[in-house]
Amino acid sequence: MEILITIISVSGIATLLAILIVLADKFLNNYGQCNISINDGDKKLVVQGGQSLLSSLGEQKIYIPSACGGKATCGLCKVKVINGAGPLLPTEEPFLTKQERLDGVRLSCQVKIKNDISIVIPEEYFSIKQYKATVMKITDKTHDIKEFSFRLDDPNTIDFKAGQYMQIETKPYGKIKEKAIRAYSISSSPSDKNHIELIVRRVQGGVCTTYMHDYLKVGDQVTLTGPQGDFYRRDDSQSYIFMAGGSGLAPIKSIVMDIIEKKLDKEMYFFFGAVTKKDLYYIDYFTQLEKDYPKFHYIPALSGPLPEDNWKGEVGLVTNVMLQHIKDGSTMHAYLCGSPGMINACINVLTGVSFREEKIFYDKF
Amino acid sequence: MRQNPVLQQIQNNMAPGAYTAHGFLGDDQRNLIDILKNDEQIVAKLGVTHEQIASKMRELTLMGIKTPDVPVIVQGKYEVLVDDHRGFIPCPFADNVSEIKRNTRVRNLDSNDSVYWSDLNIHMIEQHGFYEGIGSSFRNDPTTLFQVLGMSINNNLKK
Repeated sequence: MEILITIISVSGIATLLAILIVLADKFLNNYGQCNISINDGDKKLVVQGGQSLLSSLGEQKIYIPSACGGKATCGLCKVKVINGAGPLLPTEEPFLTKQERLDGVRLSCQVKIKNDISIVIPEEYFSIKQYKATVMKITDKTHDIKEFSFRLDDPNTIDFKAGQYMQIETKPYGKIKEKAIRAYSISSSPSDKNHIELIVRRVQGGVCTTYMHDYLKVGDQVTLTGPQGDFYRRDDSQSYIFMAGGSGLAPIKSIVMDIIEKKLDKEMYFFFGAVTKKDLYYIDYFTQLEKDYPKFHYIPALSGPLPEDNWKGEVGLVTNVMLQHIKDGSTMHAYLCGSPGMINACINVLTGVSFREEKIFYDKF
Repeated sequence: MRQNPVLQQIQNNMAPGAYTAHGFLGDDQRNLIDILKNDEQIVAKLGVTHEQIASKMRELTLMGIKTPDVPVIVQGKYEVLVDDHRGFIPCPFADNVSEIKRNTRVRNLDSNDSVYWSDLNIHMIEQHGFYEGIGSSFRNDPTTLFQVLGMSINNNLKK
């Protein structure tokens, strides 16, 4: 009985202290108004202190790329802080290289504004906007991949580079009480300025993919933020290879459509890796493109085709299949999109056939 | 058993929607402290440690990483399939650890039984002795892991 009383007493005191700390932080740590100086004073903001740098900038309609919505799990929201950020937090350390730490790079979601702060961000961040959009169409592409088509309502037009991504904000659903934000590559062409399409693969237990696959319906309104990301086509090459798996097809489709619509004279090889035939999608689309455009080559590869697949195409890891077609990549660009494991495997193989590392592009989220 | 506020906060982190859509506890209504203690007893009875179980899991994951999305036969005993997704998932124990979203499925070729875990599962077992609550889709019962992974009793622990 005494032990139980002790446990309850200690727990009660600890709870009380925790509540006091929360209250103290709320009422005593009033940081007042703070100044944010951006890019050597080119832009100056006045914000209420106490929020994260990411949130404060977002409220001022400056959207820093982020794929996790401020949970310090994607490492994308990096900004260079000249002064005023306070010490580096343990939550930031896994995402920062030694050089980045020396340069003052921080995760903006982890930097709390407590005083005036001076930061440097790329100019293109100023063109990222928040959009209200309506779900127009949801299409099953495979057993675990859906394509979502959105009409942009406010603002109703967008300019993006093929390959870039958008963030989508979920609403509370089921037992989920908080909104979440995740990033998905745009699969549609930049020429359609009033709509965008996203391709989303279900992740078991994923907060956002569960929302999109099971709860999002045609006619729903959503909030999108973008365009973001530096995974887009560079023009200084005459030949490209694209390698993708799963929902990684999305930005590649956008890039290929962009090249063809602009009638650019580029040689293109698209290697798409899947396990069985049920993991393939957009086969007819890319097969037709290959017929219509002699410089576009579509090479789907299955690593484990089933007998009932009756598969006549390439068999094996997509990296090995690529090696059968490409012997020298020294003048080519490579664009990779897929799981981290696939991307790492591709990079290893590509550098082995003379692809220059700086000409291998992929999204790091 | 009543648990301290720190464990209670961790249990809150394990609720659906906090870190993952379905959370870490499944249908388990027990306090986290009871889940941890119960699995601790099971592992002790098996004569192994959390670290040994996690080590075996990590070994198989590392073998499967070499061929993502493609099953590989390991040591003639296991079929291992590893897939991964973009992004990281933070540990609900708030220890500043985030693991990449990578999953491993292992099938014991003799028994045909399978187990399925994430990299975060390996970390949580190794560092926190946490196998998730009963009913959680990523719950790995220590006894099932012990059997499917073909582990042997550590006699030093049995003494």
